[in-house]
Amino acid sequence: MAGPSPSPHKPRRKAKRPLTSKLSTDSSVEPLARSPAFPLAAFLWPARGTVSQWELLPLILMAAGLFRWAAGLWGYSGFEKPPMFGDYEAQRHWMEITTQLPISQWYFHDLEWWGLDYPPLTAYHSWLCGKLGSLIDPSWFALFSSRGSHDPTLKVFMRATVLVSEYLVYVPAVVVFVRRYSRLSGVANWSASVALVAILMQPGTILIDHVHFQYNTVMLGFVVASMSSMLAGRNLWAAVFFVAALGFKQMALYYAFSVFAYLLGSCTFPRINVPRFLAIAAVTILSFAILLLPLVVGTLYDVKRGVDSRPDIDGPRPPLPLFQGLVRYLDTEAFYYPVVEQLVQLIHRIFPFARGLFEDKVANFWCALNVIIKIKNFPAELLQRVALLATLASVIPPNIVLFFRPRKDLLPLSFASTAWGFFLFSYQVHEKSVLLPLMPMTLLLAGSHGLSRSTRAWVGFANILGCWTIFPLLQRVDLAVPYTVLTLLWAYLLGLPPTSLSLYFYEGAGGWSHWATLFIHCSFYLAMAFWHVLALFLSPPPDKPDLWVVANVGVGAAGFSLCYLWCLGRLAVESEILPRSWFASKEKTKTQ
Amino acid sequence: MTAEIYPSLTQCAIVAAAFKILLFPAYKSTDFEVHRNWLAITNSLPLWEWYYEKSSEWTLDYPPFFAYFEWIMSQVAKLVDPAMLKVYNLEYDSWQTIYFQRSTVIITELFLVYALQMFVDSSHGASKRAAQAAAISILLSPGLLIIDHIHFQYNGCMYGILIASLVLARKKSTLLWSGLLFAGLLCMKHIYLYLAPAYFVFLLRAYCLSPKSVFRIQFLNCLKLGAGIAGIFGTAFGPFALQGQIPQILSRLFPFSRGLCHAYWAPNVWAVYSFVDRALIILAPRLGLTVKTEALQSVTRGLVGDTSFAVLPDVTPRVCFGLTLAFQTIPLLKLFFQPTWDNFIGAVTLCGYASFLFGWHVHEKAVLLVIIPFSLIALKDRRYLGAFRPLAVAGHVSLFPLLFTPAEFPIKTVYTVFWLILFLMAFDRLAPASSRARFFLFDRFSTLYITVSIPLIAYCSLVHQIVFGKSYEFLPLMFTSSYSAIGVVGSWVGFMVVYFTS
Repeated sequence: MAGPSPSPHKPRRKAKRPLTSKLSTDSSVEPLARSPAFPLAAFLWPARGTVSQWELLPLILMAAGLFRWAAGLWGYSGFEKPPMFGDYEAQRHWMEITTQLPISQWYFHDLEWWGLDYPPLTAYHSWLCGKLGSLIDPSWFALFSSRGSHDPTLKVFMRATVLVSEYLVYVPAVVVFVRRYSRLSGVANWSASVALVAILMQPGTILIDHVHFQYNTVMLGFVVASMSSMLAGRNLWAAVFFVAALGFKQMALYYAFSVFAYLLGSCTFPRINVPRFLAIAAVTILSFAILLLPLVVGTLYDVKRGVDSRPDIDGPRPPLPLFQGLVRYLDTEAFYYPVVEQLVQLIHRIFPFARGLFEDKVANFWCALNVIIKIKNFPAELLQRVALLATLASVIPPNIVLFFRPRKDLLPLSFASTAWGFFLFSYQVHEKSVLLPLMPMTLLLAGSHGLSRSTRAWVGFANILGCWTIFPLLQRVDLAVPYTVLTLLWAYLLGLPPTSLSLYFYEGAGGWSHWATLFIHCSFYLAMAFWHVLALFLSPPPDKPDLWVVANVGVGAAGFSLCYLWCLGRLAVESEILPRSWFASKEKTKTQ
Repeated sequence: MTAEIYPSLTQCAIVAAAFKILLFPAYKSTDFEVHRNWLAITNSLPLWEWYYEKSSEWTLDYPPFFAYFEWIMSQVAKLVDPAMLKVYNLEYDSWQTIYFQRSTVIITELFLVYALQMFVDSSHGASKRAAQAAAISILLSPGLLIIDHIHFQYNGCMYGILIASLVLARKKSTLLWSGLLFAGLLCMKHIYLYLAPAYFVFLLRAYCLSPKSVFRIQFLNCLKLGAGIAGIFGTAFGPFALQGQIPQILSRLFPFSRGLCHAYWAPNVWAVYSFVDRALIILAPRLGLTVKTEALQSVTRGLVGDTSFAVLPDVTPRVCFGLTLAFQTIPLLKLFFQPTWDNFIGAVTLCGYASFLFGWHVHEKAVLLVIIPFSLIALKDRRYLGAFRPLAVAGHVSLFPLLFTPAEFPIKTVYTVFWLILFLMAFDRLAPASSRARFFLFDRFSTLYITVSIPLIAYCSLVHQIVFGKSYEFLPLMFTSSYSAIGVVGSWVGFMVVYFTS
């Protein structure tokens, strides 16, 4: 509301740094708009020019926090859904076992009831949350008796742990990233603030973490911190943060190729830099070592005091779940053997190779293909191999580009296309994993031309489609209202369909690429709307009870493939890896 | 055509509505059941039983227009979940009932948006931007959010009517409608009677008497206003008067049997009075004062009922009434001689202040009666803003005890802090400098006062529980209301000075 009026305060303005990006030359002149192009810009309109970022940032963080907390008042996954409950119970249960059991038993304890299957940093985080929660009410995390607890105060505590973890990891990482990335791309501070709000209000992350319940933002936050360190040229920190992300949730492997390609590329171009490479390798190994250290030391300590990792098993040690051949080279009675056993169990728990290609209905290539060809009839080995090949085929192109052009401004695009590749083609994908490609893609809003119509249209399309594919998951626990509110709110703020068509119809619109986008997006939006109407008023035919979900999966997979192609195409254009003349017409419309 | 000011009221209303829908599952007070019960009473009983029905302890105690309003809503409620309309279905709260009742609050609040847009459109030139900021501050008011959308009531709609009526008073041609609209509002919720003296004086001087001389009466205007008001009151109370139910309605509307202070102490002079009394209990032996022993047991411990004071003399409703009227009369004198719109809003605000500060059994929710009219003129210049600032802090902090559940704690505090930072910052930039000198130290007082709120909130919400646990539960309440009382009284004194010197 504080417009450009006579103000006693002098606005703080920092001297602009010399711009490092090539792109800055053509983008530093932002069009001087007379009126905000979309509602979110209108909300920040009074803050143009005069208000310093330090006044705006606390307000943005408070508003984002309020929406998160209010969304958290709704139910969570598995609320009053015995016998197994859901993700909420899983996370609570991990707080229970990590605080109540010796460390060597964490990965072995009663695996049938939400056994721990995330990497150690999640376990340490659960331990910390469990310890804090036990100070308030020890019964929340009492061994066995607390299973399936739905104490309303416990819910408040659990919601608070998600919010606090996010505000300690994800939010600062995003704030710093947006700052650095917008500077790099020559974007004005005000536009960066708009992008920051858009990123923080992303409906998918709020719905999955704060409503349905999980701690994805911690992992995503470490990845953003890693990208942000790359922007700052601190490659060693980038490695440390990425190891932290992997150590929190193995899903961060979706980005591993890009991290590797960028770091290797930056050691190779413009000239080969062996010391840098060795330093990165050493820091990575050291980070992994530190990550595993508490588990290793804890196991050795437990052995010393005579605590068995599997007190429920009498008699001889059971064989290793994986890598059984190791036993031939190792002495099972040696002091280090329990550590080996522990680490093998860790890998076994984290990577469930034994499960199928996909479990639930998820909007990726395989599940969509399953509609046409019954994939489960093929031998699992073949499927694994095909999935591996398809994934590699999809993720190698963006990473080759990143390796040969290790440019900072290309990071979000290559991270996004790699993650889309993994999401679409890899093995054992969960519908919630859609958050992984969405995160770097949404970060594009802070980049050069990030708030332009074409970028907003595609980033918005991906996010809305992503939320729509997790709707069946949310619907199962009666979360249709927060889904509707948060998704529509975001669409409204960014001026996307179904709230506004201004992205597609405006004066001076034209070009085949524009009409293609219009056609593709509108048909998908119509399909989504039509699907919601169908699912709301009609029940599927009795012989095909999953028809709606399958339709959702099919449309989702097709849309996500287009998002993959868009990211890849734009990466190719922006990296200038292909001759410019090939894309002369395309570029005009893509990056306008 | 001036350029549109961003963000627009509609945009704010949309985003606020999204937030309010997310608050559907939040804590709801007994007022939720009160309104459900009224839906049931008005829908399933004949008119003349409305004010006699008492299956629930939450009997109908609002004037008839509100009952009609409930009846209209109950026609839709029938389609949503007929079970909520059964009088015997006490404490009924199916999710359909919650969604329905919560969304009626959001939908009826649209009238507030409309009235605020009227307010913005009625301001011109340089003050339009300030008017827009003030309008948005009312729309996003943490008071309305806490009271209406969490605690549960329909204030948004009714303050919309009040603002519409205040805006209509801005133009000579719509003065009559302003008066009639206010009469209608009185028949919806009688708490607005507190503001009625200002309306009476203003309409008398500006509408019924000639602008040139107070001795020339404009009979036609008097007739129009009188007939209109009679018609409105007739529509509201007529059907009940025919059945001879007026005494019964009055006994419902004005329950004088309640105590001086409400369950939680409203931040008014009586809160300070009680605080002083409690302090004197400890000091009495040293000062040689007598302590009434029977009062020691019954001093308000956050309980409804008769308050008796241990050291200080007791307060009777008559004293409250006398003081209220006296402090309302002072600003009305000025209004009578200078009946401008700014003075009118000032007088409405001061009437709100007087009744809030000195009234009998004042509820802390009534602080909106002061904040909302004041917001309309708070940006007139920096001296007005100086008086508004402590009120904005005190008034909203005093609402905190309404919500005591852990899940709503972050919402009420963060939202209020957000609102205070945003609007006090924006107002600071928008309020023009005053032509007159500031008064000595008042700004220092208000800065100091606002700073103290931080440790106070921290103590009341966290430290007290950690140190004392469940005991001395009255302490945080007493601190909150004494602190807020100082702010409200301070801003009242400050505004009185501004009002009389401008």
